[in-house]
Amino acid sequence: MAELKGMTGKIARVDLTTGTVTTIEPPEEVYRKYMGGSALGVYYLFKEGIVNPEVDPLGPDNMLQFMIGPVTGAAPNARSVTVTKSAYNFISIATSGGQAATELKYAGWDGIQVVGKADKPVYIAVIDDVVEIRDASHVWGKGVEEAEMILKSEVTAPLETKETQLREGDMTPEWAKIRPPKGTGFGKKRLASVWLIGKGGENKVWYANVMTEGARAHGRYGPGAVMGSKNLKAVVIRGTKGHKLADKKKFMQLVGEIQALERQDFFWRQFGTAGIGWSSSIVEDSYPVRNWQWCAWSDPNVRSIEGAFMDQASFIGKKACPGCVLHCLFPVEVTSDDPLMDKAMTDMPDWEAMGMVGGNLGYHEMPGATPEDTFTGTHVDQAEHLAKVQFTTFLHDNYGLDYIEGGTLLGMLMELRQRDLISAADLDGIDLQWGDVHAVDELLKKIVSREGIGDVLANGTWETAKYFAEKKGKPEIMNYPVTTHRYGQPAHDVRSGGDKNALEYVTVCRPSEHTGGGTAGFVSGDLAAAIAGQNGKCSTDSLVACIFPGEWAGKTVDMVKTATGWTDFTEDDLIKIGAREYALTRLFDINTQQLTDPKEQWDKLVPHRWFNDPTPNGPLPGKVAYDGNSDKLFNEALPTYWKLRGWTEDKGIPTLETLKDLGIDDIAGDIAQVHLKA
Amino acid sequence: MAQVERRDKQPEPPKEEPTVKEGGLNRRDFLKIGGSGVAGLVVGAVLGREVFPKASAEEPAPEAPAVEGEAPVEAQYKAGYELAFDPTNCTGCMKCAVACAEKYGTFFFPDQTADTVNLEFARIRPMRFQYVDVVSHCFYCQLLPWAEGSDKAPCQEVCPQDAILTVPEGEGEEGYYGMGYKWVDREKCLGLDKCWRCAEVCEEQFGSGISFDPIEKKAQVCSRCGGDPECVKACPEPLALQWVPAMRNGRFNAQAPSAMAELYYRKLFNARRTL
Repeated sequence: MAELKGMTGKIARVDLTTGTVTTIEPPEEVYRKYMGGSALGVYYLFKEGIVNPEVDPLGPDNMLQFMIGPVTGAAPNARSVTVTKSAYNFISIATSGGQAATELKYAGWDGIQVVGKADKPVYIAVIDDVVEIRDASHVWGKGVEEAEMILKSEVTAPLETKETQLREGDMTPEWAKIRPPKGTGFGKKRLASVWLIGKGGENKVWYANVMTEGARAHGRYGPGAVMGSKNLKAVVIRGTKGHKLADKKKFMQLVGEIQALERQDFFWRQFGTAGIGWSSSIVEDSYPVRNWQWCAWSDPNVRSIEGAFMDQASFIGKKACPGCVLHCLFPVEVTSDDPLMDKAMTDMPDWEAMGMVGGNLGYHEMPGATPEDTFTGTHVDQAEHLAKVQFTTFLHDNYGLDYIEGGTLLGMLMELRQRDLISAADLDGIDLQWGDVHAVDELLKKIVSREGIGDVLANGTWETAKYFAEKKGKPEIMNYPVTTHRYGQPAHDVRSGGDKNALEYVTVCRPSEHTGGGTAGFVSGDLAAAIAGQNGKCSTDSLVACIFPGEWAGKTVDMVKTATGWTDFTEDDLIKIGAREYALTRLFDINTQQLTDPKEQWDKLVPHRWFNDPTPNGPLPGKVAYDGNSDKLFNEALPTYWKLRGWTEDKGIPTLETLKDLGIDDIAGDIAQVHLKA
Repeated sequence: MAQVERRDKQPEPPKEEPTVKEGGLNRRDFLKIGGSGVAGLVVGAVLGREVFPKASAEEPAPEAPAVEGEAPVEAQYKAGYELAFDPTNCTGCMKCAVACAEKYGTFFFPDQTADTVNLEFARIRPMRFQYVDVVSHCFYCQLLPWAEGSDKAPCQEVCPQDAILTVPEGEGEEGYYGMGYKWVDREKCLGLDKCWRCAEVCEEQFGSGISFDPIEKKAQVCSRCGGDPECVKACPEPLALQWVPAMRNGRFNAQAPSAMAELYYRKLFNARRTL
């Protein structure tokens, strides 16, 4: 095989049961078809039979993949993606920024696939071609921040770490007399990068993340739980081999052009996603307030959701992924009068955090006030509200939990308490009231250690609601989990129509994904454009690049061409990768859950609130999802969407012709056949 | 910037201790009178090194980092200037390391790096310590004769081969002028498999300025690109990495990366962390 450029042509398969590491070398046509990242990961879920319903997500047979793509490395905005079967029994694809993705390419790998289960806690150390399984008992049970710093210093390249050689005789006598050599040798010139889980992943909380750099996360669908089920604490990577490119000169020129444009992108460079919150509330009426009972505050003077206010109150730095000039992560130190929260280190909060573990938990109102009352506090009160958001972000990050699903769960429990549908006794005596960060802290401790009621809560919002509905004999409890496809809805509502359209959440290939793309197409009703947007997002996750920088527009295909040397690669090839991922993930979700009527059992699993609780206040009051026309949504728009994708109109199953067109009938044809006939 | 020509032969080390060019003072005289020119403007410890009085207060202020895509600015080689890194503005984007690695990887190994971007060639080494980035580079330290019996750089002093050179102003690589810069004589350097005294003494007592290339495993040290550093031009963040007048012994700035990161943790996050 001709030498590949852009990608390395090697994926490490680590079997933790046997303790062996083998090298997978995907043929070039597989790279051409799936490129890398998310699509390549989904391909292996089919190829290795993870799509079969018998494979227990938290059993040793499940496969956890860390994937990168052809431009990951020397390109800006590098990201990594985890692909596996989620503990929720649907597809789990989650991306994260950070230096580890680039480092993996420099080590000479396109991905790491982990199967089996270690009999004691281990971590995987990747030093260029050498992949080792090492003991991790010293970091098991430790928080993400602390464990990462320990592991970072344990993995070094052969170019580093030498025993001492220096003798007094090497120095002048005067010098040696004052400061003789200490015999420490020399160490690291660049640090290793770490993907790891916190206590949440260790104890298999279903919505546990794989974290990196303290606050970055493969944030959704619980890859951390799968990692924990394998007794795998971390993957630590140090690479010294660099990134091979087909046309380095042209590639680096494109990189320079993208970076020069990013340099002028004031929106991201100013506050990152912290700059979105304000408009989402006072313009779009789509902000989560108290489990989505409200979507805005009647008094727009709630300032603690503004990027500018957060910056004034707490930002103390800015951090970028390799090659990125947008630096969308702003570290903070929490400043509060409350010793529980004071001095915690975390980031921002970013947009989803400020919504889901901010407004959604009632953190922004003064005591006793509702979101419809005039805000009576001072700027310092607002800063204390911000501190609560930041501290709850810190808890989730340090335990390694998804704060979107986590915020949905806590918000639902708070509303169930508000409505007296459950009592404090149901939560092991924790009196969970709106805005009570201490109660949240107590409850999270129970969740991550799966202690008492935490063992139920750790299975996420939907399972918790089912548990309480049955236990209390109150089926109306099922009206309050704000989940689509059984997973927490991110901080973009669909009722007001100001932000997203309901069809976007119904169709997106990863449950409740807010970054699925095609938003403008769904809002305007141009479903072809919406589908192109969705496919484009999956292609981006296969590169693997970031969706934030619009600066890539018009350059993406050239980036792939100059990295790989595929001179005949076109925009159409790029978009088709996304179409393949959509078809495969659809089949994956149908097959793993053995859905016989996908529309009823899956697509219609949307929040009760969408169609039954109109937005009460704010700029767009009195609205419900899809103008209240759920029949039109599910029986007209959805089948039209499926048809445009080449899927059957009754069940949304990709037809054999479609699979053939996409060239994926070889791995998915049999499974599609079964469900098409059913 | 001026085109850098590849030279097969390394420049000869200076025969004599470099002296101040104007005014006829040698370094020790300079130390006695306590500084002049740029050095006189610098508050605090002026500890002497190659001094070029022509780099005076008239020197224009450092320009904003060049944005790629703009017309290239003609290089201004600045004597008596120093790299200044500010952790509160650094985002850890690694652009400095890519610029450095590209320049020197291509310079020494044009064939092997024709299709590869590899940060191991970088003399400047950003290190991410979770929320804090430290940009390690050579600080241009000098030993103090009254205390340590030598005025060489520590790495030069311990090198058994005299392979680390200070090339005087006006000599050395074509286009490299304006300052006495450090350079490794790759013929003389024994390489990492045999010797790493320079790196060890640097890390133990000063900073973390020496690294080793991944091909021949010879020592790499920052030459400040002879007075017009690529890393500074590549840096996209205002104030994060500057090329500024700082007539000081580099020991003034030197700190091991982990120690620096610990200090920044305390300063930025008001928290203790042992790294």
